[in-house]
Amino acid sequence: MEKSTKDIIQELESKDYEYGFVTDIETDIIARGLSEEVVRLISQKKGEPEWMLERRLKAYRHWLTLEHPKWAHLDIPEIDFQDVIYYAAPKQKKQLNSMDEVDPELKRTFDKLGIPLEEQMALAGVAVDAVMDSVSVKTTFRDTLAEKGIIFCSISEAIKEHPELIKKYLGSVVPYTDNFYAALNAAVFSDGSFCYIPKGVRCPMELSTYFRINAEGTGQFERTLIVADEGSYVSYLEGCTAPRRDENQLHAAVVEIVVEKDADVKYSTVQNWYPGDKDGKGGIYNFVTKRGICREGAHLSWTQVETGSAITWKYPSCVLAGDNSSGEFYSVAMTNNFQQADTGTKMIHIGKNTRSRIVSKGISAGRSQNAYRGLVRVAKGAENARNYSQCDSLLIGDKCGAHTFPVIDSYNPTAVLEHEATTSKISEEQLFYCNQRGISTEDAVGLIVNGYAREVLAKLPMEFAVEAQKLLSLSLEGSVG
Amino acid sequence: MLKVENLHATVGDKEILKGINLTVKAGEVHAIMGPNGSGKSTLASVLAGNEKFTVTEGKVEFEGENLLDLNIEERSRKGLFLGFQYPVEIPGVTMANFMKLAVNEQRKSRGLEPLTAGEYLKLMKEKSAIVELDSKLTSRAVNEGFSGGEKKKNEIFQMAMLNPKLAILDETDSGLDIDALRIVATGVTRLKTPENATVVITHYQRLLDYIVPDYVHVLYKGRIIYTGDKTLALKLEKEGYDWLINDYKEE
Amino acid sequence: MVVKRIEELISAKTIPASGRLTSGGWTFGEGSGYDVVVESGQEAVLLIADNANLGDLNIDVARGATLRILNIIHDHSAMNIAVAVAEDAQCMMTQVVVSASDTRVVASLMERGARFELGGVFVLTDDDQASVTVDVNHIASDCQSHTSVKGVAAGKSHGSFSGLVYVAPDAQRTDSVQSSRNITMGEAHIETLPQLEIYADDVKCSHGATVGQMDSDAILYMRQRGLSLADAKRLQIEGFVDDVVLHSVIAGSEEVLAELLAEKLNRL
Repeated sequence: MEKSTKDIIQELESKDYEYGFVTDIETDIIARGLSEEVVRLISQKKGEPEWMLERRLKAYRHWLTLEHPKWAHLDIPEIDFQDVIYYAAPKQKKQLNSMDEVDPELKRTFDKLGIPLEEQMALAGVAVDAVMDSVSVKTTFRDTLAEKGIIFCSISEAIKEHPELIKKYLGSVVPYTDNFYAALNAAVFSDGSFCYIPKGVRCPMELSTYFRINAEGTGQFERTLIVADEGSYVSYLEGCTAPRRDENQLHAAVVEIVVEKDADVKYSTVQNWYPGDKDGKGGIYNFVTKRGICREGAHLSWTQVETGSAITWKYPSCVLAGDNSSGEFYSVAMTNNFQQADTGTKMIHIGKNTRSRIVSKGISAGRSQNAYRGLVRVAKGAENARNYSQCDSLLIGDKCGAHTFPVIDSYNPTAVLEHEATTSKISEEQLFYCNQRGISTEDAVGLIVNGYAREVLAKLPMEFAVEAQKLLSLSLEGSVG
Repeated sequence: MLKVENLHATVGDKEILKGINLTVKAGEVHAIMGPNGSGKSTLASVLAGNEKFTVTEGKVEFEGENLLDLNIEERSRKGLFLGFQYPVEIPGVTMANFMKLAVNEQRKSRGLEPLTAGEYLKLMKEKSAIVELDSKLTSRAVNEGFSGGEKKKNEIFQMAMLNPKLAILDETDSGLDIDALRIVATGVTRLKTPENATVVITHYQRLLDYIVPDYVHVLYKGRIIYTGDKTLALKLEKEGYDWLINDYKEE
Repeated sequence: MVVKRIEELISAKTIPASGRLTSGGWTFGEGSGYDVVVESGQEAVLLIADNANLGDLNIDVARGATLRILNIIHDHSAMNIAVAVAEDAQCMMTQVVVSASDTRVVASLMERGARFELGGVFVLTDDDQASVTVDVNHIASDCQSHTSVKGVAAGKSHGSFSGLVYVAPDAQRTDSVQSSRNITMGEAHIETLPQLEIYADDVKCSHGATVGQMDSDAILYMRQRGLSLADAKRLQIEGFVDDVVLHSVIAGSEEVLAELLAEKLNRL
C-alpha cells in the first residue's frame, strides 16, 4: 500500500542535520559575559588600534541603553546576554603564508562542509573567506584578486591595513545606533569579511564567505563590509552552518554594502544554521542586520535561501539614495518543526527614478511560523519611484503559520507601487498526478517546492543553486501533508 | 494483463463501484462508455490507486500481481498509465524535469541505469513528435497555462515517454476540437503494439472512429451492464443509453 | 443634511443607540451586551451617518441573518465597529469616508458559513488625516471575506489603510480576498498595510495593494477632446471610486453617495 503520510514524516524526522558535527580543535575562548572589559579584551586580542576600541566602547555604551525589541512575529525566549561567550577562535600560528599551514583538522572541517579551501574552489572560480567561530581562518585567492586592486580579506586585517577605508565606510550604512543587535555587533564583533572593488573593476570571480560556529556556548558576531566603487561589479556568496547542540546559540551579524555610482553588487546567502531538533530544542538564533546603500545608477540585488536557524530575524534592505538606482530582494524562507522566521526587506526610495522589486516565497511546515515583513517607502523627493512586490506563502500541514506584513508608505504622488500576495498548499491532485507518473510522494513534494521557489533559485549563482535545491528538499523533514 | 473481479469502491459513505468485472488482454483496446455519474472516472482513479477512494471488496490483478497491494507510483512504474481528464498544473516545475524524474524512476525500478541528458533529450524529441507537441511546451511548467488541447496532447506525450503496458485514458477527447482530437487519437494509435493494451473512457463515439475498440462496455450505476463490439458505440450514439438502462431496470 | 437625504431616499434605520431587530421589528434600549442585534433569519439595513459621538458599536448578526451597513463618515469622527457573524449569516458593508477620521472595523466570522464583505472608499483633500482599519478574523471554517478599500489622497492629506486577515488554526477552507488601491496627488501621503496572519493550510487567501497616480495618457486624451484638466482629473477619479458607489449595499443610496463624493472631489 501507499506509504502513509505518517510513515514519511517519521522517516524524514529521523534525518539528521548533515552539518551537525563538532570539530575537535583547540580554541582560544574568553569567559562568558559582557562588560567593558570584555569589549577591551576582544579589541586587544585582535590587536586593534585605539580608534577602533573607542568605536566599540561607544557602541557598547549605547547598547546598554537599549531594550530587546519585541515587534517581530516571533516567540523569543529571554536571552541572557551575560551567558554568552563573545570570543572564541581556533588557535593557530599567527600568520598563514600558505595553505599547508592551516590546521589539518580545520581544513578537514571545511572539506566536510563541502568548502574545500583551495584547489576545488579554483576550479569553480570562487574566492573564499572562511570564518570559524569568531575568526577568519583563511582567505583564498588574495593574490589573484590583488592584481586587479581588489581587496578581499578578514575585517580585522582590513582594520589594520586599510584604516582609511574602514574609517570611511564601517558603520556608514548600519550605524551602531540602528538597532539593538547592530549596537551589540558593533561592540563585540570579532571578525568577518571585507571586500573592496576599485573603480571600474569587474571582479573576475565570485567572492564567498563561509561562516561556521563550532565552539559551545559562543555567540558569533561577524561583520561584513563590501564596498563597490564607481562602475564596479561583484557577486558575493555567504554560507553558514553550525554543529547540533541542545542549547540555543546566538548569531548577530551585520552586513553593510556600499554601492557607489553605477556599481552593481549581487549578494547571495544560503543560510543553513542548525535549526534545532524536531522538538524545537537547540538551534541558532539568527538576528542579522543587512543593508546596502545605492548611489546614482547603482544596483544591489539580495538573494537569500533561508532553511536553517531556530529563529531567523533579518531584513536585507536597500537604501536607494542615488537617482536611477535600483534594488532587488529575492527570498525563499523555509521553516519546519518549531522553527520561526520573520524576514523580508526594506526598500527605501530616496533618489529619483528609483526601482525596486521584491519576490518572497515562504514555505511553512511542521509547527513552524513563517512571516514576511516588508517596507516600501517613497520619500518626498523620490519622483517616479517604482516597486513591485510578490509575496507568496506555501503551507505544508495544518499546524504551521504563514504571515504577511507589508507596509507601503508613499510621500510622493508620482510613485507606482504594487504588492501582491497569495497563500496556497500542495494539493492532493498534484501529489496524485506525480505519483501516477511513478514519482514518490517525497520526491513529488521536493519537486513542487522547488518549482514554487524556482523564480528565486534562478537568481542564485550556479553552484549555490544546486546546493539550495538540495537543502529545500532536505529541510522538508517529514512535512508531507 | 488486467483482471478486475467484483470490484467495489466507496468515497466517504457512498459506494460508487458496485462489482466491476473486466478482463483486458495484451493487444486489446477496450472502450468504456456510460452516462454521467456512472462511475467511469472512479474506475480509472481506483485502478491508478487514488487514495480518495476505498476499495471495499474485489480483486484486481495486473501482470500477475495484486494491483491493490501497490501504491500509486509502484503501479505507474509497473506500467499502468492514467491519462487524466483534468491534468493538474504544477507551477515552476518544468515538463522536461518532471518527465525526466518520472522516466528515470521507472528505469530504476526496473534495474536500468538512468538516461543520460543526451539520451533523454533525444527521447523527448522523438516522442513529442508523435503528438505534434510544440517543443517549447516541454520547457514550460507542467500544464501551467496550457490550453485544453495542449494539456491532452501533453498527456499522450507523457504516455509515449513512459511506454506503459496498460494505458487508461479518462475522457481524453473532452474539450478537444476536431484537429486536436485527430492528433491525440492518432498518437494513441501509433503507440499501440501487440504487447500493450488501452482502455479508453469516453462519452462520445467520435473518438472511437480513430481508436477502434475491440470491446465496448457500458458502465451504469457502478456496474458494467453490457458488453459489445465496436458497433455498440454507434448504436449508443444514435439511440442513447435508455434502451440499455430500461433493460437493466427490469433485471 | 446628507443623512436626511439618505433617510428620505431609503428605508434604512439610523441607529442612535442600542437596538434589536426581531421578527417584530426594531426595539431599542435593550441590554444584550451588543449594541445592535440582528436576530436569526432577519434581514436588516443599518445606516451609520451621524457618528460624531458614536464611539464603539458592537453588532451581532445571528444565524442565517443578513445585515447591510452603510457607513458614511463625513464629520471628523473616531469610531470602532465590531461585527460578529454567526453560522450562515452575512454582513455586507459599504463605507465612504470624506473627512478626517479614524475608523476601525473588526469583523469576526464566528461560525461556519459566515460571510463578510466590505467595499470602502476614502477621499481626502487639504490637510485631512484619515485612517481606515479593517480586520477580519476567520475563527470558524468555511467562511468567506472580501475587503476592498480604495483611497484617494490629494493636497496635503494623509491617508492610511490597515487591513488584517487572520485565519485561526481550525478555520479550514477559508476564502478571503483583501485589496487596497490608492491614488495620490499633490503632496499627499499614503500608507497601506495589508496583512495576512494564517494558521490553517487549506485556505485561499490573497491580498493586493497598489499606490499609483492618475493615468496621464488618459488625461491628455480627454483634454485633447476639449475637457478641462480639472474635469479630466475628476472624471478619472470618479471612475476609480465609482464601483464602490455602484455596489452600495443599500439600493437607492447610489445617487446620494455619488453626490457626496462629487462634492468632495471638487476640492481636489
